[in-house]
Amino acid sequence: MKLVPVYRIGSSPLHAAGAGPTAALCAALALVCVLFEHPLVLAGVIAAVIGAGRAAGVGAQIARSLRLAIPLAVLMVAVNALVSGAGETLLVRGSSVLGHRFDITLEAVAAGGLAGLRIAALVLAFGLFSACVDPDALLGLFRRLSYRSALTATLATRLVPVIARDASRMSDAARCRPESPGRAAVARAALAGTLDRAVDVAAALEVRGYSAARRPARERRSWSRHDRSVATAAAVTAIGSIGLLVAGAGAIETAPVLVMALGPGELALTALPLLAVALPFAGRGARLGVTHA
Amino acid sequence: MREPLVRARGFSYAYPERDRRALDDVALELEAGSFTVLAGTSGSGKSTLLRALCGLVPHFHGGEAAGELCVAGLDVREHGPAELAAACGTVFQDPESQVVMGGVRAELALAVEHRGEPPAAVARAVEEVALALGVAHLLDRRNDTLSGGELQRVAIAAALVHRPALLLLDEPTSQLDPVAGDELIWLLRRLNEEWGTAVVIAEHRLERCLPAADRVLAIAGGRVACDAAPSDFLKWAAAEGDRLTTPLARLFSGAGLEPPPVAVKEGRERLRGAGLAAAAAPAGRAGPDGHHSLGARIGARLGRRSAAAAAIDVRGLWHEIEDGPVVLRGIDLRVAPSERVALMGRNGAGKSTLLRLLKGLEAPTRGRIEGAGAVALLLQNPGDYLIHEHAIEEAGSDALSAAGLAGREDANPRDLSGGERQRLALEVALAGQLRAVVCLDEPTRGMDAASKRALHRRIDVLAGGGAAVIVATHDTEFAADFADRVVLMGPGAVIADGAPADVLAGGWHFSTDVARVLGPAARALTPAQGVAALLGAGTDTQQTQTAPPPAAQTPRELVR
Repeated sequence: MKLVPVYRIGSSPLHAAGAGPTAALCAALALVCVLFEHPLVLAGVIAAVIGAGRAAGVGAQIARSLRLAIPLAVLMVAVNALVSGAGETLLVRGSSVLGHRFDITLEAVAAGGLAGLRIAALVLAFGLFSACVDPDALLGLFRRLSYRSALTATLATRLVPVIARDASRMSDAARCRPESPGRAAVARAALAGTLDRAVDVAAALEVRGYSAARRPARERRSWSRHDRSVATAAAVTAIGSIGLLVAGAGAIETAPVLVMALGPGELALTALPLLAVALPFAGRGARLGVTHA
Repeated sequence: MREPLVRARGFSYAYPERDRRALDDVALELEAGSFTVLAGTSGSGKSTLLRALCGLVPHFHGGEAAGELCVAGLDVREHGPAELAAACGTVFQDPESQVVMGGVRAELALAVEHRGEPPAAVARAVEEVALALGVAHLLDRRNDTLSGGELQRVAIAAALVHRPALLLLDEPTSQLDPVAGDELIWLLRRLNEEWGTAVVIAEHRLERCLPAADRVLAIAGGRVACDAAPSDFLKWAAAEGDRLTTPLARLFSGAGLEPPPVAVKEGRERLRGAGLAAAAAPAGRAGPDGHHSLGARIGARLGRRSAAAAAIDVRGLWHEIEDGPVVLRGIDLRVAPSERVALMGRNGAGKSTLLRLLKGLEAPTRGRIEGAGAVALLLQNPGDYLIHEHAIEEAGSDALSAAGLAGREDANPRDLSGGERQRLALEVALAGQLRAVVCLDEPTRGMDAASKRALHRRIDVLAGGGAAVIVATHDTEFAADFADRVVLMGPGAVIADGAPADVLAGGWHFSTDVARVLGPAARALTPAQGVAALLGAGTDTQQTQTAPPPAAQTPRELVR
């Protein structure tokens, strides 16, 4: 099962908008996760991503991302609880190993939980990006800046699943041997196969004129209503969250004791991503005449 | 005088660190708008010549080149692949390795964008080539969702998007099923006729592409051994042995009919002209739709059920992918020891999945598999089995001898030819042990005739030792040659199961050229069977010359 979503053509406003606005919206949601550690705000981002994913028809893909995010979050909680030891509210008094005392405090558990929630929100925002942004269109945005770097990034993205399939095939072939050759031998052969694959792809690029490639011509593309609404949502999220940060909203302390602000600023921060991602899906324009990307 | 599109004079090339020349004193001229087939055994130099024509040789691979080779007026020794790309598009064997973007539209646009064309020109070029090659409906698809045939078409469209004068293809049909392979060849012919694009195609399955060709270049030992029209090439090939002949040429040669036909239609007309015409299928025999009579099917099934012990017995086998399609739908299959079964069907019919389930690489959703012993499986890519630096490390010396690789103990498996790799991988899968069932998945892909014959001999040995051999293949000629039973699969189900003549003689795509020429009533699939049928009909012809046949007997029936 694929835990990382893969882009497929869709007919939602997020798909219909260009790669730039949709990527910007996902980046703005990620920015909120980076700026704030407040659980309500992070929960707001997670709810916004899940809602946008469902509305965009990629709910199942986002749900799969959640399966990747939850174990990561649980791991963060466990590691932080065991390693940190910061905080005054002792939950479990642990034993001492190599001079380090493994006490578990409420504050350490809470800090781990907040870190886990942040990781989960970031994974989901990336999932929304992977599911709704056409990587080829994204390449087009960077092409004029650095064509070869952008193409290399696209190639790497494209080759990852191909190489994964190659490795899976080699693993199957190893299972067809009466005696397993060992993982190291298979991994070494898979690496050699990867190099062969890379040489083949390089040859394919050469015969399509890669080494004589010129800087692409500038493309002037008018903005559709979907471009405008998604870009507005991204701008509202980014500017609003930065503004509220400057205003001091979303403050939280986890040590020595857990202190969490809960006022209008925090409520506004929580509502901000939810309202922003609803914007592209609201109104008649979102429902009528939605085009393929 | 018009300058040829390709001109070579004394062109030679050796790969780095190799003493032997891959191309040796090549001299040829190709006209614009021609359709040329490169014929030759594995390692003869076909691929190297194609790589020289597109400039990868010597610029990408290194090595030493001498002499002159000009493409569209550009000397390949002085101009690299990027410059030659303006004049020629290149398509390799594995479409997976030549598709570099995520989506089809971006893939087609890439070559035009490399030339710095404005967005409107790029969009128009993409639209036109997509329509011309019938891939317009794929434009908004992601490359990783395409079938092998679709991906190969996209690769050809990507090579043609900037309208090069020359299209080079290296075994483009080797990964495709017969339907997709035939479609691809006729697509190339249409491009050649309508756009005037010169096509140079290297292929092992000559019967597939000779009918579309104007000319054949036979390459042997890096040299041009024959440069002739298809019909003259077939005469030359017959004189050289049967390494490069087609099944129809062998049929006609065996029956003493000259000259050999290039295409099925021509062969049928020649036979008609010689008074040997195909007859309609009589009752109880395979019909033109490939189905055989209920009686024959029940008989075949009862015969199989009555066998004392099965090498493998599959009952009600289902395989359903989580969040995906149903791949197998209640398959029943019983294979006896020493039985040789060809498992056929289009891409996606479930052949490979069935073999994987037999081996235990995947678990069935429902159903039962009972085997008399161990199952060996050779998957589609033999290179996946070869993980060591030396052949002797992959398998013991006995296995190397069985693979015909005695004396090659120190060779790196990656340096072996496709056929040699295939044989070595089979020995790795067998590991010198007796197996109840040996499964081979598409073992003849990209193989020349000699390698197929070697594989056939190995299958004979395995079956002679009591192993049931099940071969999933698209190669109808090979299936007709080695199998004593053909199982034809539709989407996830067995749709025909019987003797090769029952299943293949009346098929359209799943049929051999000999069967197409002689008709289903002849029940002849291989050239040898066809010769026997024709000689029988010849005797009949002599008899009927003294006693005129009743009107109802024409056209003449070829059944012995």
